Amino acid sequence: MSDKKGIDILDLIKKVLFTDFVKGLKVTLGYNISKSITHRYPDDEKWIPYRRFRGVHTLNRDENGRELCVACELCVKACPTSCITVVPMEDDTGRGIADRVAKVWRVNLVRCLFCGYCEDACPTRAVRLGREYELACSDFRCTVRNREDLLMPQPVPESIEGGIVAKAKFERPLSGIKVTADLKVTKKRAW
Amino acid sequence: MMIPDISTILEVVLIAVKVVVVTMILFGLPLPLTWLERKVAGHIQVRLGPWRVGPHGLLQPFADMIKLLMKEDIVPDRADKFLFTIAPLLAMVPAFAVFVAIPFGENIVIPVINKEVSLYISDMNVGILYILAISGLGVYGIILGGWASNSKYSLIGGLRSSAQMISYEISISFAVIGVVMLSNSLSLVDIVRSQGGSLLQWNFFYLPVGPVWCAIFIIGSLAEINRIPFDLPEDEGTLGAGFHTEYSGMKFALFMLAEYVAMVSVSVLTVILFFGGWNSPVPLPIPIPPIFWFVAKVAFFIYFFMWVRFTLPRYRYDQLMTIGWKILIPVSLVTILITGFMRI
Repeated sequence: MSDKKGIDILDLIKKVLFTDFVKGLKVTLGYNISKSITHRYPDDEKWIPYRRFRGVHTLNRDENGRELCVACELCVKACPTSCITVVPMEDDTGRGIADRVAKVWRVNLVRCLFCGYCEDACPTRAVRLGREYELACSDFRCTVRNREDLLMPQPVPESIEGGIVAKAKFERPLSGIKVTADLKVTKKRAW
Repeated sequence: MMIPDISTILEVVLIAVKVVVVTMILFGLPLPLTWLERKVAGHIQVRLGPWRVGPHGLLQPFADMIKLLMKEDIVPDRADKFLFTIAPLLAMVPAFAVFVAIPFGENIVIPVINKEVSLYISDMNVGILYILAISGLGVYGIILGGWASNSKYSLIGGLRSSAQMISYEISISFAVIGVVMLSNSLSLVDIVRSQGGSLLQWNFFYLPVGPVWCAIFIIGSLAEINRIPFDLPEDEGTLGAGFHTEYSGMKFALFMLAEYVAMVSVSVLTVILFFGGWNSPVPLPIPIPPIFWFVAKVAFFIYFFMWVRFTLPRYRYDQLMTIGWKILIPVSLVTILITGFMRI
């Protein structure tokens, strides 16, 4: 409506011809025929995050397979929620890159807020936040991850840049549901 | 006792068969329509819509139906039990009864028994009048349902529905009068026949009044069947769920059924009154069955109503009244005058 007195002719013509209505219909029709951006997760698609994604922690090894962690406990100090526990021990059998290795390296994922401070504090780049993000489980045992789990190779290797949607398979055994991504069949996301 | 001759019996049987077939189709139609509506909603919002039950979610309506059948059928403690129970039926029966007068095509000949069959249950000479009268009755179900629920939301929903019906029925009737003036008949079959030939014979293209009639009819009908942007009676934002707040299970399903059947009947009426019914838009060398054109046009309008539903927001109550009383009724009166002059 115009502020002026009387009838705005242009406005009236617009109303008579349903201009705004047609514009709106055009917009929604455009969306209707455009491709949906829904990821069909978990049925047959899974999002592979970028490298910078901050998921579950990983402990890394050097190229000779020695653990990078020297159990300096800097991550424990840096952690704002005190969710990391490190117990050091001495081991000169070459398990780690130094004589000091972690006997226990445990993170409580319920308390962790995935800030990545442990990653920043780590002098040897041993602890990194990985790309695993499926954290739902049915009891509290799986919310605590130990050194042995974290040293396992990652399902998404570092060489994959991420930011893609991979074809996935949804499995529902009694032991718990699982979505396995097939990294060979991927596509860019739709938007 | 007088025994009626064989052709009379055949006639009665034929009508009974037609009634059963039409009723079955109408009972079945809401299933694909709910699926379609949710798919259209999904895709307009760049989602997928139903997906997991069957391929492309096609079995979703059946899952919904089973869910509604299994739900507890609650009758509120302080509700008027009798009215509460019959209100969904009162809403549903008129929606179905409208289809008695609706023709689906010209007469066809069944090949085996070599008998000519008309594709309507009854060709009343006042067909359109009958439809207006019966479809207006549907609002009783909503009002009584709202009243019998003994709930403020339901009652307000019912009241809004009646006010809306009164406001928009007038302009719809005027739009229909316009069509009757163009076609010189109240019978729907004759109205369709008068639009035969080509695109330009359709009432919609009777310039300049045809599009105006069509717009008035569609806007008024949207208000009559309580669809967005005029779904004030079931305004989720302010009224819970409006007149069917207290309904659950199959009773709720009957209301939904009535709503979808009403949407189909409005689409059918729009096609018959303005878009040439089963007439093909252009003369074609290959004969295409007229029922194809009819179904295609109706399908387009059903899609159109869903499309509008997910495009426009809901009008405010005062805007609804303004559109009805201050715009549609004066415009329809003026258009009747113009149509009258044009037909002299």
